Amino acid sequence: MISQLSVFVDNRPGSMANITEALSEAGYNIRAFATFDTPEFGILRLVVDKPTEAKEFLTSKGFVVRVQEVIGAELKDERGSLNYMLRKLADGNVNINYIYSFVIRSGKAPVMVLHTGETKEALKLLNEAKVTLVNDDEL
Amino acid sequence: MTAIPKEQWKERIRDPKIECASRDEMTALQSERLVETVKRVYENVEFYRKKMDDLGVLPGDIKGIEDIGKLPFTTKEDLRDHYPFKLLAVPNERIARVQGTSGTTGKLTVVPYTQRDVDIWGECVARALTMAGLTKEDRIHICYGYGLFTGGMGLDLGVQALGAMAIPMSSGNTKRQMTCMEDFEATAFACTPSYALHLAESMVEEGVVDRLKIRAGIHGAEPWTQEMRKKIESILHINCFDIYGLCEISGPGVAMDCIHQKGLHVYEDYFYPEVLNPVTHEACADGETGELVFTTLMKEALPLLRYRTKDLTDITHGTCDCGRTLPRISKFRGRTDDMKVIRGVNVFPTQVETALLAMGTVAPHYLLIVERENNLDVLTVMVEVDEHYFSDEIRKLDELKTKVGNVLKAALGVSVRVKLVEPKTIERSEGKAKRVIDKRDLS
Repeated sequence: MISQLSVFVDNRPGSMANITEALSEAGYNIRAFATFDTPEFGILRLVVDKPTEAKEFLTSKGFVVRVQEVIGAELKDERGSLNYMLRKLADGNVNINYIYSFVIRSGKAPVMVLHTGETKEALKLLNEAKVTLVNDDEL
Repeated sequence: MTAIPKEQWKERIRDPKIECASRDEMTALQSERLVETVKRVYENVEFYRKKMDDLGVLPGDIKGIEDIGKLPFTTKEDLRDHYPFKLLAVPNERIARVQGTSGTTGKLTVVPYTQRDVDIWGECVARALTMAGLTKEDRIHICYGYGLFTGGMGLDLGVQALGAMAIPMSSGNTKRQMTCMEDFEATAFACTPSYALHLAESMVEEGVVDRLKIRAGIHGAEPWTQEMRKKIESILHINCFDIYGLCEISGPGVAMDCIHQKGLHVYEDYFYPEVLNPVTHEACADGETGELVFTTLMKEALPLLRYRTKDLTDITHGTCDCGRTLPRISKFRGRTDDMKVIRGVNVFPTQVETALLAMGTVAPHYLLIVERENNLDVLTVMVEVDEHYFSDEIRKLDELKTKVGNVLKAALGVSVRVKLVEPKTIERSEGKAKRVIDKRDLS
C-alpha cells in the first residue's frame, strides 16, 4: 500500500504552487501529483517520500491534509496491461473511486495509484492476477 | 501554561461588599444613586429635562430603582444628534478625556469622562481582571487598539487600578505581539476573540506556545461562541474570559464572566441593567430574551438614562457558584443592527454559527455574503474546511456541502449557497470580526 496525501485546495491560480513550493523548500520529493476539481475547489493528491512527516509539515503550514492508504500497482510495459488489471477488478465487482499513474524509475512501466472502498477484495484480485503491487518503501 | 479546571479554581473577589451584596443592600444602593442621577440630569441636561417634561415625570417621582420604568429611553441616535458635547452634565473644564466608537456603522459617537468616571471605569476593569484570577503580580499584554476605541485604554486603566504591569501593545503586527508576549513574560492577554484566535494560530505556526507564560485571556468587544473559546483555550492551554462593555456606558468592564461561565456578571452598582421586550418595552422575566438597556448610576460627564444597547440577551438574578450576587447576562443572541433581512426573513450571523456548531462541524470561521441576483436576495455562506471534516473524496465533500446547506436552511428559513474554502482564506480582522458582507445595492 502507498500512503497518499490529499490536500484541500481552492480552485484558483496559485493554490497548487503554494503546496509544491512549501514541499520543495522543506526538501520533500514529490513522486506523483494529480488533481480532481470541481468549479469551486479541488483535491490535490500527492505521493511523496516521508508521507507522515510531510503531512505534519503541511498541516503546520495551515493546509488541510489527510493521509489516505491507496493501492499501488506496477504494470507491465505491454499493450493491454491496464485493461487486464481493470477487467480483473471489474469482474470481482470492485468499484474504483479514482485512479492515476506515475513513473518512478526511468525505463520502467507506470505505477497506477487507485483508491477503492473494497481494498481487501481488490488486493486479493490483483494478487491472483499476478499484478505487481508497490509499497511506500519501494518508492 | 496549563488551564486551571473549575474544581481547582481559587476565586478572587475584588470588592466582596458590592459583588456579593444581598439583594436588599444592592437595591438600596441603586435607589439612592438613581434618585441622585435623575436629579442631576434634570438640572443639567436640557435633553433629559425636555424628555421628562414631555412624559410628565419630575425628579421627585423617582423614589427608588423600582421607578426606573417611568424614565425616558436614550438611543444611539440621541447621542449622535447631540454630538459632540450637548448632553454633558458637568462644566466643560471637568472633562478629563474622551473616548468614542470606531464609527464604522455611521457617525462617530463621542463619550466624555470626568476623572471620577475614569477611575470608576478602571475599578470595574480591575474587578473583571480579578475575576479572571489576576493580581498585582501579573503582566497583562493588551492588544486591543488604543485610541478613541475604549478597548486598549479600558484594559490599561484596569491594570493600573489592579496594580499589575501593563504591556500596551495596541493591535496589529502579530509577529511583534508574539515576541513581546514571550520576552516580557506576559501572564495574560486581552484582545478581541477573533484576534486571539488569529494570534493563537500564528503562535502554533511559529512554535512559541510552549515558551509562553500566559494563563488567562480576556476577550470581548465582539460576539464569540463557546466553540471559539474552547479553541483558544486548547491551543494556548489557558482560561479565557468574556468581557463586555460599550463606550456609551463606560467601556469594557460593564460585565464579565467568571470561571463558571454562567453568564456575564454586570457591575450593577454602577450600571443598572434592564432586559426589555423590544416591542412592548415591558421588563422581561429572568431567562427571557429581550433588549439590554442600561442606566448609569454614577457617571458624571455623560449620565445616561435607559440607554438602549440593541444587544439581545436575558438576565438571571441569584447567587452564582463563584459567590457573587451580581446578576448575569447571557451571551448575546444577536444585535438588532447586525440583523439582515433576506427575502423578508430576519437573519442573524450568530444563528449561522450556532447551526454549524450544532452539526458538530467545528468551523469558527465563516462569512456571510448577501447579494442580489435578478432582484432576488442570495445568501452565500463561506465555510473554511478543516481537518475534522475534510474527505479525500469529492462525493463526500459534496454531501457535506448539501448537509450544511440543509442545516442552515432549517435554522434560518432561507436557502443558502454553501462554498467550501481553504483554511485561513476568510480574513481575520485585527479588530471586530466581519461576519456579513452585504453587496446589495438597495439605493
